[in-house]
Amino acid sequence: MNVLIVDDEHLARMLLREYLAAHADVEIVGECANGFEAVKAIAERDPDVVFLDIQMPKLDGFEVVELAGPRPHYVFATAYDAFALRAFDVHAVDYLLKPFSRERLAEALDQVRRRAAQTLQVAALVKDAAARQAPLARILIRDGARVHVVAADSIDCIEAQDDYVQVSAAGRRYLKHGSLAELEARLDAAVFVRIHRSWLVNLGAIARIEPVSKDNFCAVLKDGARLPISRSGYQKVRALLA
Amino acid sequence: MGEGFWARRSATLYLAAWLMLGLLLAGLLDATLGAGLAASLLFALPLMLMYAAVCGFAAYYQCRAFPLAQRGPAAVLAMFFVSAACAALLWCAAGTAWAAAWRMLAPAFFPRLEPLAMSAPLTATMFGVGMLLYGISACGHYLALEFARVRHLERRELELKLLAQDAELRLLRSQIDPHFLFNSLNSISALTAFDADAARAMTLQLAGFFRHTLGLEAQRKVRLADEIALVEQFVAIEQVRFGARLVFACSADEAARACLVPPMILQPLVENAVKHGVGQLPEGGAVQVTAQRAGSQLRVDVENDVDPDSPGARAGTGAGAGAGIGLPNVRQRLAGMYGSEASVHWARGDGLFRVALVLPAQEGEAA
Repeated sequence: MNVLIVDDEHLARMLLREYLAAHADVEIVGECANGFEAVKAIAERDPDVVFLDIQMPKLDGFEVVELAGPRPHYVFATAYDAFALRAFDVHAVDYLLKPFSRERLAEALDQVRRRAAQTLQVAALVKDAAARQAPLARILIRDGARVHVVAADSIDCIEAQDDYVQVSAAGRRYLKHGSLAELEARLDAAVFVRIHRSWLVNLGAIARIEPVSKDNFCAVLKDGARLPISRSGYQKVRALLA
Repeated sequence: MGEGFWARRSATLYLAAWLMLGLLLAGLLDATLGAGLAASLLFALPLMLMYAAVCGFAAYYQCRAFPLAQRGPAAVLAMFFVSAACAALLWCAAGTAWAAAWRMLAPAFFPRLEPLAMSAPLTATMFGVGMLLYGISACGHYLALEFARVRHLERRELELKLLAQDAELRLLRSQIDPHFLFNSLNSISALTAFDADAARAMTLQLAGFFRHTLGLEAQRKVRLADEIALVEQFVAIEQVRFGARLVFACSADEAARACLVPPMILQPLVENAVKHGVGQLPEGGAVQVTAQRAGSQLRVDVENDVDPDSPGARAGTGAGAGAGIGLPNVRQRLAGMYGSEASVHWARGDGLFRVALVLPAQEGEAA
């Protein structure tokens, strides 16, 4: 089976490599030192198993899974993270506690060989991890093998488009898989307001509110974009801007 | 100097004050009644000392039994008026008896002395003076009790503060990131296969670091040089983990190194700098510690590279900014130890996170 090792520490990767060398059916297809590389490598090399450190720069282990999808079998590794440990137990996802023994690693590999389908548990685990980070300070958007990190306060507005949302930030537009309601729930409610069924807007980006007709308003953003405001959206904006 | 010393000293002061009142009364008697200085003194001094004892005990216990905060002012006033009147009446009676005794005894022992005679105006004056003195001594007792209460509160507050400092240090010590310990053990585990000497060296460093922190006490300040040594130990261990990603530099002048600082004041800052700064940068970065002594002030700066895209860039308070609980904790400890004489400020900009500590430069033996 093809294995990818993801850890920001050189020694930790060496240790895994050493332990894995004892298993004849394991082929290491790559090593990554950070989350961006990991997302790219998972997309390009399609490994069967990913040994994934939780604490890494830029993207943590959960964010890597969120972006790369739950297709490979993930074995998480952490030195100490009370929250993560509880989440692993709750969702019955395999994990290694650093430092770990050869035997413990062999057990994890056995479990992978038995192919206990992980998809649902991992999805729930990632959701858990995301909930701990509320309100969201940045949005991760995958674009092929590339990952964009968009700071929440640089976002002007977000539009719902079928199964996607279009994020407008600092003059650029990004398409992200997911629903507007999901993002609304995770972004800071004091900054992002749902002004319309398909629009979420950053209050700081609004230049003014203009009437379109009687009882009908639109928001004019600082970059000139005009967004529709629904009746209930108007109440919310009035309450927050007052 | 123990409690006994203070008790003796206040008793002596108290008696001295009453003795002076006795002299005053004797002088008045001599001047107004023309009774002669010797007779006036013989009459007034013993009476005054006796009254001192009465006021000392009676008024004191009354004041303790009726704390001002618990009774209405009217009740306290009425109570003291009645007891002052009783005390003054007793005093007058004692005065009359004393004068009568002198009249009987003086001709036999001191034939040349003309004893003082008790008269109605004198009795009335004594009654008035007795009431006033009783009142004054009650006020004095209330003042003394109030002082004692405040001092007790202050001491209690101080004790609590010391306890809190100790608890805080213990907390800080236990908060040395568990990641740090377990990741270090993981590195050692890896090193044993490739470089046994390096594994041993790291084990020793780790042991040294923890032994050092366990030996610290909250009230015992340490020299900045020792705190820097602790930080260097910490960084050496982290450098094994992070490799070339972590660059550390420390420059401190000799005068600064000799200054005393609270223990574990620099270590959490450097730990934060490594964890939230360099640790979040895939290519790594630098941590720079600078310490200077400028006159009566010691200034310590900790500077580290940070990820410019990290969320902390927004408010400067998120965990990503390195603020976490470490910095408020340091600020609190400094405030507890130095009050407004010390300060800690932090800011981020240009891809750097800076913490500036300013504390009074104190020298001396680590104690």
